[in-house]
Amino acid sequence: MGGVFQLGTFIFSIISFLIVFFIIQRFAFRPLANMLEQRRKHVESQITDAEQSREEAAKLLSEQKRLLDEARKEAKNILDAARVRADEQAREIIQKAEEEVSRILEENRAAIARERDEALAAVTQRVAELTVELTSKLLRDHVTAEVHNEMVAEAEKRLGELVC
Amino acid sequence: MPAFPTLFAGTIWQTNFTVIATIFFTGLVMFILLRIAVARMDMRRPRGLQNLMEWAAEFTTNMARETMPTEQSVRFVLPLAFTMLLFLFIANWLGLIMTISVHFGVHAHVWGLKPSDLAGSNGDVELFDSPTSSMSMALGIAVMVWVISHARGLRHPKQWFKHFYSPSPLAVIEEITNPLTHGMRLYGNIFAGEALLGIMLKAPFAFHWLPWQLPLIVLWLLYSGFVATIQAYVFSILMCLYIGNKSFEGHANH
Repeated sequence: MGGVFQLGTFIFSIISFLIVFFIIQRFAFRPLANMLEQRRKHVESQITDAEQSREEAAKLLSEQKRLLDEARKEAKNILDAARVRADEQAREIIQKAEEEVSRILEENRAAIARERDEALAAVTQRVAELTVELTSKLLRDHVTAEVHNEMVAEAEKRLGELVC
Repeated sequence: MPAFPTLFAGTIWQTNFTVIATIFFTGLVMFILLRIAVARMDMRRPRGLQNLMEWAAEFTTNMARETMPTEQSVRFVLPLAFTMLLFLFIANWLGLIMTISVHFGVHAHVWGLKPSDLAGSNGDVELFDSPTSSMSMALGIAVMVWVISHARGLRHPKQWFKHFYSPSPLAVIEEITNPLTHGMRLYGNIFAGEALLGIMLKAPFAFHWLPWQLPLIVLWLLYSGFVATIQAYVFSILMCLYIGNKSFEGHANH
């Protein structure tokens, strides 16, 4: 469309192009560029958010782990303490029972011994009396008081030996 | 050589009205496309046209990042690069999709055209074409880029003065050749594509019925489409490069 240089065409072309450029720039390109910028910012903020929440999650996870470990340790401590106490208690109970048993045994033994002694003493007494009675009945006439006493002592002595 | 409706005919300010009109038409197409994309915009679920525009913005950003020294200059050039890429893409394709020529009688009253002009073009007046296939327009955009790059360079006057002679004084020549080649490359590619298409379309059929040029036209259309796309990219990336060369605020990225 024209290989001839025309100054008017030259100048008015520049002016027309500039008019077109400013209209396009103002009403078409700027919204497009703004939108692209907005999207860029949006994407950037999304990435930042994602990174932040990932960091937070890692922190929370480690915190939870720490808490879990603590709880586990505490439970173990409580269990150990309980076990120790139980052991102690058991030992105490056993000891007490043993003491009780030995005490009762001792008491019974003493009671038995006492009763045996009492019974023996009673029996000895009775036998001695019976013997004396019998002997005095048998020997009433033949024995003097002196001999009689001697015989009673002898009998008592012998009985004591027999019993013991 | 077709004629064009002309403003300020006969003065030094003679203006090709078709070029100006198609520039605004291109802007309108672009504006409608972008507004449709922007109106149903959704940050979370992009779809349809929005995807395409986001891709274009992303593509422009990458292009600018690769060619410019600092992130600051990338931010500065991004709206312009995006507009330039899309604008040139649509503008280059306009002439391939259609050109409109109207045939007038020699004595018809057309904006700013004398009977001699109409006679010179056999009465053909072109009303619709790629604006970039006009040399004045392509050079205009290139010079605009050149001015912008120097305006940006002048924010650091010391370095701006230094860069003319610092590596070699030949850099001054580049200041003339860069905008010239920048504009002429775009104009040449687009104009050549359309000129050859026009010639082939006007060529007579063989034996008055055999459209021998049809496969050639299809082939050339495909190639011109490729060139139109590539030239939009080349022009934009060179623009980033030129403005980047004059961005003196710290060369952090490179």
